[in-house]
Amino acid sequence: MEILSIIFIVTGLFFLIVAAIGVIRLPDVFSRSHAVSLTDSLGAFLMLVGIALHEGFGKNMLKIMVVLALLYILNPVIAHATIRAALRSGLKPWKKENS
Amino acid sequence: MFLKAMALFLFWILLSASFEWIHLLLGLVFSFVVAWLNSGHSPFVPKFRLWLRIILYIPWLFYKIIESSIHMSRLILDPALPINPQLITVESKLRHHAAVVLFGNSITLTPGTITAEVYRNTLIVHAMDKDLSKDIESKQMESRIAEIFKDEKPDL
Repeated sequence: MEILSIIFIVTGLFFLIVAAIGVIRLPDVFSRSHAVSLTDSLGAFLMLVGIALHEGFGKNMLKIMVVLALLYILNPVIAHATIRAALRSGLKPWKKENS
Repeated sequence: MFLKAMALFLFWILLSASFEWIHLLLGLVFSFVVAWLNSGHSPFVPKFRLWLRIILYIPWLFYKIIESSIHMSRLILDPALPINPQLITVESKLRHHAAVVLFGNSITLTPGTITAEVYRNTLIVHAMDKDLSKDIESKQMESRIAEIFKDEKPDL
């Protein structure tokens, strides 16, 4: 159980680091928000599952499950709101030059 | 209203996780107050078949999330950064507000694609590269959601 939780947390950390690199490397708001959504959907999920396994069954696990459900409902809303605001304020998405 | 209050009360128990009578009583009172304050708005009608179908849809969505997360990580870690962002317009055939919300949420939840604008059943999606935008245009996700809502009354 302990080893499983460590595996989950380390995999989650990997995705979080990749997302951080993505936020630095990608060119504009639109593509950067994709990198951020990588954090939410897999990074945070794997971290929370790892922590839940570490806690074992009980009320803490239930609470983590609630946090997870809320995360999956709220994150798309936030990402969508950011991108829509960027698009409505007239920002043009970055494009590949030769296409 | 009673169902709403009970749902709120369950949530209270989950969050407080204490079974002292004063906490339970407070929770009960406040759930009824909140349910009463909200009773003029949307009626709380549980639709068990619909929820069951949505729950059965989640594992497939999860598979998609993992698949595109790995694709996205590969794009980010590639030294050449082979991205090709594009805005595509998707006109879906969904006939329900809830279905469009679920579709937009699923698109945003899969890394690499984000719903940027929604008007009725037309969505503007920002995708990271050709593969991901093809995935949206292949209508695979949309037909699954249409399948979930096939027994509901259209309201769009």
